[in-house]
Order: sequence, then C-alpha cells, then structure tokens
Amino acid sequence: MFRNATMRLVAAHLVLVAVSTALVLGSLYWRIGGVIDTEQQAVVEAELRGLADDFSRGGTPALAAGIGLRLANPPDRDAIYLLVDQDGRRITGNLAHWPPTVAAGNGWSTLNLYRTDRAHPTEISALSVKLPNGERLLVGRDVAARAAFDRTLWRALLWALAAIVALSAATGWLLSRLVSGRIAEIDGAARAIMGGALDRRVALRGTRDEFDKLAGTLNAMLDRIETLVRDLRTVTDSLAHDLRSPLGRLVRHLEAAADEETVPELRQTRIEQALREAESVLATATALLDISRIDAGIGAEQFTAVDLGRLAADVAELYEAAAEERSLTLACDAAPGLVVHGHDQLLALALTNLVENALKHGPAGSAITVSARLDEGRPALVVADRGPGIPEADRARALGRFVRLDPARGSPGAGLGLALVAAVARMHGAEILLGDDGPGLRATLRFAPPPAGEGLSP
Amino acid sequence: MSRRILVVEDDVDTQDYLAKALREAGYTVEATASGREGLMHAISGGFDAMVLDRMLPDLDGLSLLRSVRAAGLQTPAILLTAMSAIDERVRGLRAGADDYMVKPFSFAELSARLETVMRRPAEARPEETRLACGDLELDLIARTASRGGRGIELLPREFQMLEYLMRRQGRVVTRTMLLEGVWDYRFDPRTNVIDVHISRLRRKIDAEGEPALIHTVRGSGYKLAAAS
Repeated sequence: MFRNATMRLVAAHLVLVAVSTALVLGSLYWRIGGVIDTEQQAVVEAELRGLADDFSRGGTPALAAGIGLRLANPPDRDAIYLLVDQDGRRITGNLAHWPPTVAAGNGWSTLNLYRTDRAHPTEISALSVKLPNGERLLVGRDVAARAAFDRTLWRALLWALAAIVALSAATGWLLSRLVSGRIAEIDGAARAIMGGALDRRVALRGTRDEFDKLAGTLNAMLDRIETLVRDLRTVTDSLAHDLRSPLGRLVRHLEAAADEETVPELRQTRIEQALREAESVLATATALLDISRIDAGIGAEQFTAVDLGRLAADVAELYEAAAEERSLTLACDAAPGLVVHGHDQLLALALTNLVENALKHGPAGSAITVSARLDEGRPALVVADRGPGIPEADRARALGRFVRLDPARGSPGAGLGLALVAAVARMHGAEILLGDDGPGLRATLRFAPPPAGEGLSP
Repeated sequence: MSRRILVVEDDVDTQDYLAKALREAGYTVEATASGREGLMHAISGGFDAMVLDRMLPDLDGLSLLRSVRAAGLQTPAILLTAMSAIDERVRGLRAGADDYMVKPFSFAELSARLETVMRRPAEARPEETRLACGDLELDLIARTASRGGRGIELLPREFQMLEYLMRRQGRVVTRTMLLEGVWDYRFDPRTNVIDVHISRLRRKIDAEGEPALIHTVRGSGYKLAAAS
C-alpha cells in the first residue's frame, strides 16, 4: 500500500489531522475543566464564609439553622454540607458521616461518598474547617456532573478520531483511484508509443484540470517528437536513395575504368566521371552536415554585425560572370546601412544557395535580382528570378530536406539548398518567405526589425 | 635535400595514403598515429611543415599545435578536420594553424596548400610594390596591370585574383583557395563561379597570339607561370 504515493500522502495527512484534533480537544478539555473547577471552588469558599458568619453570629444553632435553610432551599442540587460535633457525630447535613480520610482544615480533597439523599456513592470535592468549639464543618460539591463532562469530551475525542481515520481512508482510496487511473492512462500511452505506436496520444477528459494540462503538454511533445522522427526517417530514406544513384554510377564508371579492354582515353573519361559522382555525394553530405550543425546552433558565438547591402553586392559580384555565361543578367539592388547581427559566412552561404537556385531556374535571357532592402520595415535579403516559381501549395514543403518539387529534375545535390537557407534563417531568427514574383520565384530572408535608432543610417 | 613533412593522423588508411602521396611528390615523410608521439617529433624539429588531424585518440591536433607554438616553433601546420570549415577554421587558426582543411579532401588541394604555407614567410614582404611574371606586371600602388607594355583594364576583384595568382606563381592554386583568398568565403559553391571569373581574367591577360600565362591544372585548379 505504501508503494502508492497517494496512499502515503493520505496516511501522512491522517496522522496530522488526528494529532491536531487531539490537541484541540485536549486543550479544550483542560481549559473548560479548569474554569468549571475554579468556579465550583469559588462557590464552596463563599458558602463556607457565609456559614462561618452564621456561626460567629449565633454559635452552633445559627450554623445548623443556616445549613438547614440551605438544604431546604438548595441553590442547586450539587451542594454538600456536613456539621459534626467534637466526637464526630452528625449534627446536620446531607452526608451520612464524616469521611475518615479528611482532617478538618487541610484544604481541598476529592472523595467518593454516600450522600444521605442518594443511593449510590458520588464523587465529591470538599473543603472542611474546624470550628472554635471543636465542631467540624464540611462544605463540598458533588462533581459527578463534572466527571460526566469529562467522559463526554473523551467520547467526542474518540469518535472524532474514528471518523477522521474512516474519512481519510475513504478519501485516500478515492484519490488514489483517481490519480492512479489518470497516471495509468499516461503510462499506457507511453508504453504503446515505446512499442512503436508513434501516433498514440494521451486521452483528454475535458476537465481542464492539471491532468488534462499535463496530458496536453505531453501530446504536444509527442507531436513534436513524431514530426522529428518522421523528418529523420524521410531524411534517412532520401539520403539512402540519393546516395544510391550516384554511388551506383560511381561503381559503373570505376568498373569500366578497371576493365583491361578499355582504351586509355576512355579510361581517363570514366575516372573523371567517377570523380564527379563522388563530388556530388560529398556535396550532399556536406550540405546535410552543415544543416545539422547550423540547427545545433554551432557558430552562433561568431555572430557579428553584418552589412546586408555589402553581402548582397559581394555575392552578386561573385555570380555575375556565371549568370552571364548562362545568358542571364544578374542585377544587384543593395540599400546601404542594413545591418543585422549574424554569421557572415553562413548568411553568404544562404544567399549563394538562393542565387544558385535562381541560376538553375531562370530561363535564358531573363533577369535575376539580388537585393538588400527593407521589407515591411525589416531588413531583408531578396532573390527574385523569372523562372516557373513554386506553386503556393508546395512552398512550405519546399523548405524541407530532400524535397524535389519536380521529381523528373533530379540534379545532383539538389533538394538541400532551400533546406540549408531555412536552417540559416532559423539560426538568425529570420523568416524565409517564398513568394510569387509574377512570374518567377521571390525568396525573401527577412530579419527581425532593427533596434530603434540603429541600422537605418548609413 | 627533400623537404620533411610530419603527418599526424590516426586513421590508418588516410595516413598511408597521405604518406605515400607525399613521398611520390618528393617529400620526406614522418607519419604517426599518436598525438604525443607527433608532439615529440614536432618539438625535436627539423620539419618543413606539419599535417595534423584535429581529432586524435590521445592528444588532439589543436592541443598538439598549441604546445608546438608554445615551445616557440613556427613550423607551418595544416589542420585536418571532419567538421565544417565555416566555424572550425576560426578555432584552428587561433591555435596557430596556418591553414585548415575539411575531410575528405583531394591530395591536389592539400599539396597546393602545403606549398603555400611553406613559402608564406618569403612572400610576406609589405614593402613590395610591384609583382611580375614574364612580361606581365602588376603595380600594387597604382593598382594597374600591363603585359608587354599593353595596359590591361582590370576590375578590382580581377586585380585581387591576379595578385593572388602572381604571389603564388609557379604553384597550383585551387578554386577553394581562390574563393577563400579573394572573396573570403570559406565554403564551396556548387557552380563553376571561379572558372568563369578565371576565364574572364584569362581573356584579358592572355591576348590572342601571346603565350598563355594562366594554365588550367587538370583536377586541381590553376597556375600562373611564364613559359620557360
């Protein structure tokens, strides 16, 4: 039972409540009992003084008369009086005889005695004095009522404890059933997921309590993990597929080169072809490694102030000749003073990827524009081409790894360029937007707005 | 006497391949797989250059290099790494490496870079104002170029490329080296950007009828050399 956390909690709670109840009732008992005792003693002392006055006024007869008056007309039924002579014989009172254990003038004593008007012995608290003529007077009160009060209180205490134990046990059982039930649901879902059912989720009860909140958080986490796993699976599958084709060609080229009947010139060609295939495999691996490292945040410590205009101009200048060779014109429109905090090499790498993409898709004779400008008030790098563009439905997907929108166009190393740009964007807290340039693709890398008063002046 | 190269590389295949290729290229090679052993060799001196792997089982390449530099030795060193050049380079250069290469690399690239790091001290002459290769001349102050008295109009970047090639004339310069040395980009573009820039430069330098100065080295890169 104590392996159950709820039961342990309830047991601790039970002990705490029991102890505090006992403390409350106990202190109540002491306080009330004390007050009752003090009042009774005050009454007895007053009676004794009144009777002593009677005696000093008129001697034994006046005293006896006073007692008689009080017995005939009792202020309450608990008063006890006894007057005995020098020899201990009863003169008057409602006690049969002087209790043998009591010596007059010795203060308070508690006795169990027979009253003349009761059949059973009762508990009496009494005070006695020796009168100047040798007679003895005892005044007391029947404290049976007080004892009854004690018993009632004790019984209440015991009942309260019993009720607390019973209630706590019941609550504990219910609570532990409730908690174990919810935990068992989560546990079951987790085990099912470990068993391979990645799409399993923890059921929500719609109670909006802590358990539902926890289940919601867990489900969100599981969604994220499932996405990552699916992503990883896609990457692994695609990687295997992407490497198989060039590696297959590589093997064929090398086999042909190794063939003794191949003429030397052809052998050289085959080896060079093999080399190109190996380079394409290497490019794929490098791009993948770069993406992982960028996503892991490696290089973030090398962030510096990067002038986007300068970056765009440099990249445009690097590619201008390559564009011209493909009968494309590459124009650069770089606004001054757009400074972002970033990794200059990675930003340049991202921009070259966008430009290479544009070179690949722009039709001969068309223009490519590389610009650094403000886009909705935020610094941005924009590359626009006049190619076929990307259909709106495919734009989000285009940023994933190994995504080929046109399956027929399987150029080596493709499918990672935009994924790399997206990774660089994530690292810089920037957005990557693929838009329609009517016609053509407009890829925008939009950064966070510059802090006020900075970055806009050249 | 042939120049001595220390190779510290724990991967047996890579070590064998490097040692064999370097010996064939005419170097004397000392190879070891242990960082500690490599450090002892390096400190005992007598090497013209070192090729160090970044990751070694006992003492990693960066620490080895720091110890060598702390001992006051300036032996040129090239670090090899399996990691990305983009950010690892900074750490390598800070530890005192003269150059940095990402595995896998071609031997042509390594050999070109080795030649460069071994000659570096000789070329660090700030007072140099003119460079020449055959009848090609470069005025570093006026930023002008001429060949055989014929003035050549060069864009700023073309001037930088030519200066880079002329400072390394007679040696192979790879595309990656050019991209790094002239554009300061430490990644490989997938398209032939460098080739296009070189062919533009070549059209200006090697006019029709003139003997070619810019040569393409198959499988490696380019070389600026006057016909001898």
